[in-house]
Amino acid sequence: MVGLSAHQLFSLDGKTVLLTGATGFLGRTFGRAALENGATVIALSRPERLSRQVQEWRAEFGESRVRGYAVDMYDLPQLESVLGQIVDREGFVEVVVNNAHELGAKTGFNTPHGGLESATHDQWMRNLTAGVYWASVVVQRLGPAMKEHGRGSIVNIATMYGLVAPSPSLYTGTEFMNPPGYSAGKAALLAFTRYVASFWGPHGVRSNAIVPGPFSNTDGDSENAVGRDDPFLERLRERTCLRRIGAPNELVGALLFLASDASSFVTGQALVVDGGWTVT
Amino acid sequence: MNSARPAVASYFDLSGRTIVITGGAGLLGLQHAEAIALAGGVPVLLDLAAADPRGRAGELAERCGRDAVGMTVDITSLADVQRACAELIASRRRIDGLINNAANNPKVEAGQKESWTRVENFPLDVWHADISVGLTGAFNCSRVFGAQMATQGAGVILNIASDLALISPDQRLYRKPGLSDDAQPVKPISYSVVKAGLVGMTRYLATYWAPMNVRVNALCPGGMFNGQPPDFVDRLTSLIPLGRMAALGEYRGAVVFMCSDASSYMTGAVISIDGGRTVW
Repeated sequence: MVGLSAHQLFSLDGKTVLLTGATGFLGRTFGRAALENGATVIALSRPERLSRQVQEWRAEFGESRVRGYAVDMYDLPQLESVLGQIVDREGFVEVVVNNAHELGAKTGFNTPHGGLESATHDQWMRNLTAGVYWASVVVQRLGPAMKEHGRGSIVNIATMYGLVAPSPSLYTGTEFMNPPGYSAGKAALLAFTRYVASFWGPHGVRSNAIVPGPFSNTDGDSENAVGRDDPFLERLRERTCLRRIGAPNELVGALLFLASDASSFVTGQALVVDGGWTVT
Repeated sequence: MNSARPAVASYFDLSGRTIVITGGAGLLGLQHAEAIALAGGVPVLLDLAAADPRGRAGELAERCGRDAVGMTVDITSLADVQRACAELIASRRRIDGLINNAANNPKVEAGQKESWTRVENFPLDVWHADISVGLTGAFNCSRVFGAQMATQGAGVILNIASDLALISPDQRLYRKPGLSDDAQPVKPISYSVVKAGLVGMTRYLATYWAPMNVRVNALCPGGMFNGQPPDFVDRLTSLIPLGRMAALGEYRGAVVFMCSDASSYMTGAVISIDGGRTVW
């Protein structure tokens, strides 16, 4: 049984967390949350922003607490090779957070060519690869050590669009577009989450998903960013029960709950953090 | 993202929060209360006189070194609940949370036939009593304490449902050797109806009070090990990917998570803590 105080209950002290998409809008917050709560973090990301992020975290949390691995996850042989290095060097990784996705024109986001009528094979494959295949490769490589140790927590970051469809009216008259492959890939991720829970539950390995609602990137530093005063945000706010979009910090509770021993009897679940979007 | 301060203490901290727990002096209610107290909050145990909520609260306060309040309240009486709320407001000024935990869990009485719980035999007075505690009691408390939190502009309601709100009982679990089929005991129908009803109430109230910032969520726990006969435990655990029942206290993490600001963007959520039973 875990400790009883709130601090002990949700702590990641002594655990190693592998995080994909570590420099993205949500990934930055997940990485920091894991570090602030005692974990050692293995950060995977494309090279562009990784070294700066790793330096920043090392300066704050100590050299030994952060390892960065640069990888273009669409380069599957490279991904396999990086995961092989991680298994060799890091050994048992107790927590895996499958967070990476590509939210841009190449996956059909925010382009008139990304929709149902015109989405390309390449856009579809990039969505399905990022949506579910990356998680499957990471879990396949890191799972054996989890099974061997009889414990492990896999946290997959999905989306409400794996449960409900985007409404076309949200996008009318805007340049925004949420492609069909994203919904399909993330719905597949939820199915994969349950599959792992079922097959590795007997080995003590838990597998759950976080299902975020609207957590628009208002930081303005990437292809999927939305301006803070964009009327599109007002449409999103209107659609939720709480009448606001979520801030990345509001996913931290769910992450710490699922990653830590506080959720030791929780597996196969899709934890919905959506301000009530899917409840109506 | 420098404003991000995802330290455990602040996210899951319940300092200064007053949280009302129905059935608070029972086995599970006391676990919720202890979780609240250890996260810094003040649990208020509501229960019938026979369960001695004041005595239990006193013991809890001593054990945890924190405040705890016990009140004798019959939640099936609206007037009783209103009186309790008025007393609490007079002494504590505000109410920050309500955990609707109380439910009848009928046991086979001595000398009674095991088959009394079967649908064909189920006594109407037991049906009414179960609905009265499990649903009317939750309605009375939500109405009174929920309205108070809506007036304050903040609060949480957590409904304790069950895995049996989502799936049907597997009646083979409850079979006794040597009895004919029509004499076999079963899990009572009222239990499934009450727990499924709580999930409906959760979703209804989530949208109803969202504009007043009262969040409403449900937990669906699976069976907790409490000395059940080994053959029952064997049969049940074969239905659970993690291969075991929940341990006493294993729901505490979820209770603190859902009652604290760590779940600030969650409303209308239904969270299973069932070792994966509903996943396969």
